[in-house]
Amino acid sequence: MDVYVILLHQGLSVTKNNNSKALIEARDLCVDIKDATILKNLNFKVAAGEIYALLGGNGAGKSTTLKTFLGFNKPVSGNAVIDGQEVTSALDSVRSKTAYLPESATLYPHLTARENVSYFLSLADIKKTDAEIDTAFEKVALQANARERQLQTYSKGMRQKTAIALALLREAPIFFLDEPTSGLDPVAIDEFNQLVSDLAANGATILMVTHDVYGACQVADRIGLLRDGELVGEYEAPEGGRIDTEQVHIAFAQRQTA
Amino acid sequence: MMYSIAQIKREWQFMLSQRYVLALLLCGLLVSVFSVVTGISEVNQQRATIERLKAADEIDRAEAQEKYDDPGSLAYYTFHLTYASPSNLAFAALGERDIYPWKHRVRMLALEGQIYESDAQNPELAQIGKIDFVFVISALSPLIIILLFHDLVASERNNGRYDFIVSTAKSSFALWGARSAVRFISLYVCFMLPFVVGAVISDTAFIDVLLVSFMCFAYFIFWTLLSLWFGRHSSSAPKIASSLIGIWVLFAFVLPILGDIAINKHIESPDGGDILLVQREAVNDAWDLSIDTTMASFLAEHPEYDYYEELQSGGFNWWWYYAFQQVGDQTAGSLSVQYRHASVAKYESAKYVSWLSPPLLLQRSMTRIADTDAKAAFEYENQIREFHKALRMFYYPELFSSDTFDKNKLESMPQFK
Repeated sequence: MDVYVILLHQGLSVTKNNNSKALIEARDLCVDIKDATILKNLNFKVAAGEIYALLGGNGAGKSTTLKTFLGFNKPVSGNAVIDGQEVTSALDSVRSKTAYLPESATLYPHLTARENVSYFLSLADIKKTDAEIDTAFEKVALQANARERQLQTYSKGMRQKTAIALALLREAPIFFLDEPTSGLDPVAIDEFNQLVSDLAANGATILMVTHDVYGACQVADRIGLLRDGELVGEYEAPEGGRIDTEQVHIAFAQRQTA
Repeated sequence: MMYSIAQIKREWQFMLSQRYVLALLLCGLLVSVFSVVTGISEVNQQRATIERLKAADEIDRAEAQEKYDDPGSLAYYTFHLTYASPSNLAFAALGERDIYPWKHRVRMLALEGQIYESDAQNPELAQIGKIDFVFVISALSPLIIILLFHDLVASERNNGRYDFIVSTAKSSFALWGARSAVRFISLYVCFMLPFVVGAVISDTAFIDVLLVSFMCFAYFIFWTLLSLWFGRHSSSAPKIASSLIGIWVLFAFVLPILGDIAINKHIESPDGGDILLVQREAVNDAWDLSIDTTMASFLAEHPEYDYYEELQSGGFNWWWYYAFQQVGDQTAGSLSVQYRHASVAKYESAKYVSWLSPPLLLQRSMTRIADTDAKAAFEYENQIREFHKALRMFYYPELFSSDTFDKNKLESMPQFK
């Protein structure tokens, strides 16, 4: 069997990076939104350099989990911990270590890609030269002639590339990706997955939430299956291999209909 | 410090890229320029009118003094210009100068009728309505502040940028603090720059400029914080805007109007027209009364002229004529006192309403500093009364004298200052 299937309710815990330091950790995380319990005792860890995909259907609690790590939701109990610091008590410090890529990267449409990147870098108090910004644009394959165009003329893929370039320039050790390939064409998805893999290879820790089983299996080291705010399974890629898409797909489908 | 400057600089550049923000700032600048220009023009016009009337007044007086030799005719045909010059800050707050008269040409006839002849309406709660600088600041600037600040946060939420931008910003100040500060300072400068230029042109006292600037600053802070507070508690920009505009209508119009109605209902006041009527009827009726009847009333105020019978001639007597003019004032006196007391009471009561309405409070405070409020008008009225009293004190001894009038005495005739 290529993949370790860990059903948490069975009490099993076998992960590839067990011994690595966890940079992202959910500890018995419970979050309510408008009196509705969204996350129920959520537990998972993401080790340094690991790509972890939280997979789930609509309303499973994926985005709530991400927003809790970004400090927008306050846990009722439990903790969201980043690099050993609780998000609620060290928000500014935690945010300086993270780069967030939303589902639809809505940067400022009246600014060019370069102006957007410069603006957001300044907002994060990060100084980069034009050459460094160009290097980031090259890494995300954003064409030189497009960089000085306003974003209102961009496709979604190009806007996403701009946001990724920004994330790269921030040199954050931790990335949060929210449905990052949603709405991208297949070529753009492949390019994006390659970028994410490169980031992880360079030491970045990545937590992505998605409902795209295939995409998650392509890029993730581990997948956590989320249903009704609970982690109902974890899948880990074998050394040098990928997570078995079919197996995750079946589990995902079963969980959705359960 | 360097960090804060860098954040401000970035937001300044960002603001320059937002056309609607620039359009709102330009709008603020234009209405402020318009109000200052019209204010200066109005003040210049009032000053020119005073100068023109002063020149004409001197010519008229000189002509009368040359033509007539007796004090009765001199007092009758000589007009005296009284006026309240606009202060050097009046351009910014014209205040009540279009409700209360700021110039009167008075004679030594009954005074009350002369004062209230042009009484258009009773002193009322200061209401917004003139396009002067204080109107622009108190009534119009809140609208631009609301438009600039109500969706500072909501627009980012509505455009799906909120989480991204907040999680990217190093601190809350870097984003909302710097952005608010840049918009606030820009708007404040747009509104205040024309005022400062107007103040320099008008030679306004530095302390007055400082006071007005501080009051406007506090007023802008109030509306900005209110807009930001509402903005933080709702994600719907239209909902925030409509709530804030509702508050603006309440503060700028509803409360002052309700306050005005309540004050007018609570404080009874005769009309200025009634005073005029009572005084004129008293004067007209006096022609049919005996001299003794009139003089009995007159002597109650001036017992020193009880020897009037020695001066009686068979024909017309100026001293009798001016005596019944004064009796006319005495008859209308109680109404006039009621009117003035009521006006002062209304003015004082309006103070309490202004504590509930920031636009009214600003308007009231600025017109006080500019000396253009109802209180200034009351002071001008009192100056006229004092001057008229001095005129009577000058002429009465001459009227109640059988000696020939020495025209050299005219040099010591009271002058309105």
